[in-house]
Amino acid sequence: MSEVRLQVEHLCKSFGITKAVADVSFNINKGEVHALIGENGSGKSTLTNMLTGIYTIDSGKFILDGKEVNPKNQVDANNEGISIIVQELGTLSGLTVAENIFLGHEDKFTKFGIKNTNLMNKIATDLLKKYGFERIKAGEIIDHYNFEDRKLIEIVKATYFDPKIVVIDETTTALSNEGRHELYKHMERIKKSGNTVIFISHDLPEILEKSDTITVLRDGVYIDTVLSKDMDEEGLRKLMVGRELEGDYYRKDYGDSVRDEVVLSVKKVSVPGILNDVSFELHRGEILGFGGLSESGMHEIGKAVFGASYDRSGSVVLADGTQINDIPTAIANSIAYTSKDRDNESVVMNQSIGDNICLPSLDKLTSKWKFLSDRAMNDFANEYAKKMSVKMVNTEQFVSDLSGGNKQKVVLARWIGKDSDIVVLDSPTRGIDIKVKQDIYNLMNHMIKNGKSIIMISEELMELIGMCDRIIIMKDGKISGEIDRSVEIGENTLISMMV
Amino acid sequence: MNKNNILRAVLPIAGLFVIFIIFNIFTNWRMVSNLPLVLSQAYVVMISATGVFFIMTMGGLDFSQGSILGISSIAVCILSKYNIPLAILGGVCTGAIIGGINGYFYVNRKIQSFIVTICTMFLLRGVIRYLTTNAPVAGSAALVNFDTIELKVGITVIIVLTAFVIFRFTKFGKYLKAIGAGEKAAIFAGIRTDNMKFLVYVLAGAMTGFAAFINVIKVGSVTSSGGSQLETQILIALVLGGMPISGGAKVRFENIIIGSLLYIVLNSGLTMMGFSTQMMQLIQGVVFLIFVAVFADRKSIQVIK
Repeated sequence: MSEVRLQVEHLCKSFGITKAVADVSFNINKGEVHALIGENGSGKSTLTNMLTGIYTIDSGKFILDGKEVNPKNQVDANNEGISIIVQELGTLSGLTVAENIFLGHEDKFTKFGIKNTNLMNKIATDLLKKYGFERIKAGEIIDHYNFEDRKLIEIVKATYFDPKIVVIDETTTALSNEGRHELYKHMERIKKSGNTVIFISHDLPEILEKSDTITVLRDGVYIDTVLSKDMDEEGLRKLMVGRELEGDYYRKDYGDSVRDEVVLSVKKVSVPGILNDVSFELHRGEILGFGGLSESGMHEIGKAVFGASYDRSGSVVLADGTQINDIPTAIANSIAYTSKDRDNESVVMNQSIGDNICLPSLDKLTSKWKFLSDRAMNDFANEYAKKMSVKMVNTEQFVSDLSGGNKQKVVLARWIGKDSDIVVLDSPTRGIDIKVKQDIYNLMNHMIKNGKSIIMISEELMELIGMCDRIIIMKDGKISGEIDRSVEIGENTLISMMV
Repeated sequence: MNKNNILRAVLPIAGLFVIFIIFNIFTNWRMVSNLPLVLSQAYVVMISATGVFFIMTMGGLDFSQGSILGISSIAVCILSKYNIPLAILGGVCTGAIIGGINGYFYVNRKIQSFIVTICTMFLLRGVIRYLTTNAPVAGSAALVNFDTIELKVGITVIIVLTAFVIFRFTKFGKYLKAIGAGEKAAIFAGIRTDNMKFLVYVLAGAMTGFAAFINVIKVGSVTSSGGSQLETQILIALVLGGMPISGGAKVRFENIIIGSLLYIVLNSGLTMMGFSTQMMQLIQGVVFLIFVAVFADRKSIQVIK
């Protein structure tokens, strides 16, 4: 066995009454990729956030190479040799690439209080070259690069100083295939150099392939540490969920519920710079999937249908001829939308679960004298929160306290409460664990059986293949292919249309 | 965080009680015996604060309230010479129009609300000075006849109660809170946020325009300083009442009532104890800062600018 790098000892962290991490102890070795898995809210991110100084430790300790570490912030953590690549955007807008890379370490380039920008840019350029990212210019403002490139810059930022531990938190879900390979390459390099990667991901095949050791957490409690080579997906799922799960959780039928009736037609829709002349029809009882690269314009489709696109031309028309041009009209005509940007566009973060669920249905909940009663709202919120089995203390709890999966459940509860007929789901399972994923798939199944129609936009090809009656592939703002549901479709068929 | 919530709920009420008792002890119970006089300052603040409460709930600010009160008071005075109901209506409309101007620049021109309202504050203060250059604007002699406690209390109670019902038991209040807690998400939940924002500024202007009537019946005329400092009084009152400056889901309607009373008690208490105006401003400034520091909802403000 190799040497121990990090000992986690009796670590605890609570948020209010919720124990996010409860007395967790395990070891992480040198020169390994150590995966941390568990459902949403199992405490993975909380644990690594404590390690990297984002959260404070309640009790317990981290021992790095025999010495206790307790970083107060991320810069402090960097100095101890610990860095992190976060789930969402971890770079700062308005700064240059070089400034981002050396954020918090400007001292190295500062003499008599004056920063030597040239030197900083030069070293950053050398680093980018070393990583093979020559096309990224060190002196450029970071906003000129897209999400993917900014993630690559984060890789440089988190690894250039050869930290002993690099935490990669759920980064791969946001990356395209090339981006992922770039990341894998660097994980491999870090491991070879004798340092350690802590890898958090929901993608089990990826975990099994890329990690050496896997530690499983469930509800903040340590479950087990296993070797990847001894494990399969089924076994991991069992450890994560704590009970047997059906191996196949996608749809089993092949288009039984699709009817000929068209419920929504999108005609010649364009959004400057994003969508170009897109037309399609959605049928009753159909799940219509949209796939493509992140920048292909597929995410804008959802916004266009929901009336949320800025400067859209063309038309979105319902079966009865109603034109959808703004969000209130869309909602009034029974269209629902869950955004990829869950925290900003789907839920009102600093508001209670109850209010979030009731918000679009307030008209339905008001009495004929236009009054709202607390009880009506409470009952409504509780009914649908229960239906979606949202994990919560009560409906008064703020959404900001919930994990990603639970937030998504609140969003879905809201639209089920509204009884929407056309549901647009953009990346519905992004960053969500298997159990909630399965709940969402079941819900979708249930909806189409009841004659609802769904548009599902997703970057996960398996999910599209598994769930959709029809898949439209987008490329450069246009439709580049369409494929009907069948057993024969594989990921490669779709990828060839995407690139 | 939980402790903070309790503090936010209890401190204003306890503060009101304690301050009231303390001042009464210091002033030999003169405050109780002069209660009508003390309260007479509260009506305008309370009515205007209700409008500003709506604005602040959705995350905006309004510094132009004092100037709105001044201009509307002038309108009331001038129109009162023709007809009293017309004067009241004129005041309301003047306030609503200025609120509309605020709303237009805030919503349509997309300028931050505090910048817009500081601009209108200066602009209108100039107009007030101009209109009162030679002499205060006097209203009809009949105006002061309306200055009865019953009328003022009655009107204030009706307005505040109506506003409470609307805020607490209709979707209006829910929408305002949602906008304050997360505007983008509110848009995606189907709320016409731009319309709401504009409407609320007009409403707040109209309410202060109405308060102008109560302001005018006290003395029957407006001087160049008419309505000045009202915006700060409102802001201090709301914050003293436990209102989080950033608005959102944690605001409570009680903030207005308790805050206005707390402010008035503090203000008259200090006056009765013989503090000079300068000294009072200093004390108010210190109290204001302490309350903001205690109540600021730091969790909901992601970046402190």
